[in-house]
Amino acid sequence: MSGHPAADRAIPQVRHFGAVNWIGLWTLYYREVRRFVKVATQTVLAPLVTTLLYLAIFVLAIGDPAHKIGDVPFRSFLAPGLIMMAMVQNAFANTSSSIMISKIQGNIVDTLMPPLSPGELTCGFALGGMTRGLAVGFIMWGAMTFLVPVAVHDFLFVLFHAVAASLMLSLLGLIGGIWSEKFDHLAAVTNFIITPFAFLSGTFYSIGGLPPFWHGVAHLNPFFYMIDGFRYGFTGHADGSLTAGLIVLTIVDILLWALAYRMFARGYRLKA
Amino acid sequence: MPTLVMPRRYGAVNWRGLWTLCLKDLHRARKNFRYSVLGPVVSNLLFLIVFAMAQGRGGPYVGDLTFLQFLVPGLVIFAVCESAYSTSSESLLFDKMEGMIADTLMAPLTPLELTVGYACSSAAMGLITGAAVAFPMLFVVHLPIASLPLILFFAAGGALMHGLLGIIVGLWAERWDHHAAAMTFIVIPFGFLSGTFYSVASLPALAEQVARLNPVFYVIDGFRAGSTGHADGSAITGGIVVTLVVLALAAGAHRLFRIGYKLKP
Repeated sequence: MSGHPAADRAIPQVRHFGAVNWIGLWTLYYREVRRFVKVATQTVLAPLVTTLLYLAIFVLAIGDPAHKIGDVPFRSFLAPGLIMMAMVQNAFANTSSSIMISKIQGNIVDTLMPPLSPGELTCGFALGGMTRGLAVGFIMWGAMTFLVPVAVHDFLFVLFHAVAASLMLSLLGLIGGIWSEKFDHLAAVTNFIITPFAFLSGTFYSIGGLPPFWHGVAHLNPFFYMIDGFRYGFTGHADGSLTAGLIVLTIVDILLWALAYRMFARGYRLKA
Repeated sequence: MPTLVMPRRYGAVNWRGLWTLCLKDLHRARKNFRYSVLGPVVSNLLFLIVFAMAQGRGGPYVGDLTFLQFLVPGLVIFAVCESAYSTSSESLLFDKMEGMIADTLMAPLTPLELTVGYACSSAAMGLITGAAVAFPMLFVVHLPIASLPLILFFAAGGALMHGLLGIIVGLWAERWDHHAAAMTFIVIPFGFLSGTFYSVASLPALAEQVARLNPVFYVIDGFRAGSTGHADGSAITGGIVVTLVVLALAAGAHRLFRIGYKLKP
């Protein structure tokens, strides 16, 4: 022991890292991405089929090719909404199912025991879910270009809203997953919060056509801003204020991030 | 002399076992009612609202029906089918993955009793969900009910068809993503593309012919004929097709239970 060079080499040393455990963060993020890539049929192909079905149904049911929202043909109006819808649903599903399954199967300890701070946990999960949202959105956009004219009007708006919305739902999924104690609870969050907010946010119709009271209510829904701004990026048509949208989305993302961070820091429903 | 516990005797059918099997899945659905009943109620109401908003105008859509009068029966019967399908498939797959399926296989139930038990409980669950989905909609949309027997026949037919399909998928699937794949690539496209949301008469001629080869089309069309009086196809053809498909699926499910497909070594 006493300074013998061979013995010194054989003893494994504690790994040192600075303010951020980059390897740990990368590993967590990489695991979250690998989780959905491994079952790509279910996580990428299935949403694609469902979204194309929605497109077919709305175009067939609404029928009338002359139907326009402002000066935008209905199917060009619909396409960005559907892409956004698929993105947010998948970003939500990634984090919520990851946390929920780990909690139910008991392997959440494998994520909580490594030297990851609450900030690193939040970041790893949130970015993993965001990646799935963006991947699904990108593939969806590629498929849609064959069916519907979706020219990009302002790429920066498309990118900002895609990132902000995926991040927002990824964080919501994280919070929902930590809060839920069984799948039935998580289904309640999806059915009573996420789906209504997403469906009633102007994905399928212009809120300009709503009665004044509901028009006002729709402006209180953060989902409205992400769909509206995203659609503006494609069609150049917006129902609400774009600046308000940028501010609302940024603030909501920061608040949700803080809440998720606090849940990990306190170990809410994660640690005894 | 002490009373001995004797083996229970029963005739050709183990009625108590069959009844217990039926109740098992209904109890499970009741425990998860937010997922199994309230979820479809909310999502179908949202569909209704969204279509009403997107459609915009209130004029006649098909015959003298408004679009919403056309849509409501489609949403209700599709909710029946989807719920029946997921009740049996999720029950079987869950029990298989958790290893609890042995408790069902060890009980003195014949393959026929297993088939009937799973099919009946999932069909009943489908009908309960359908009623829950229909109830709030009927306050908003007036339906000119044309024929109650048609409604009941096609609701029960659609529920049994999907309950039996759920048994087959539940036996075949080994993981949740197999189950999800069957849902995404079979149940939802067959349902969505068969006139749930639009009249197949408005499709291009070739697509209409293809839609008429789809048994789910007859379920939806027959149910809509009963609840609104409007039909795109013939109720007699529909009745025959639905009966034959239900019998064929029942034979398939029965055979899988009999050979113990993916159940017994």
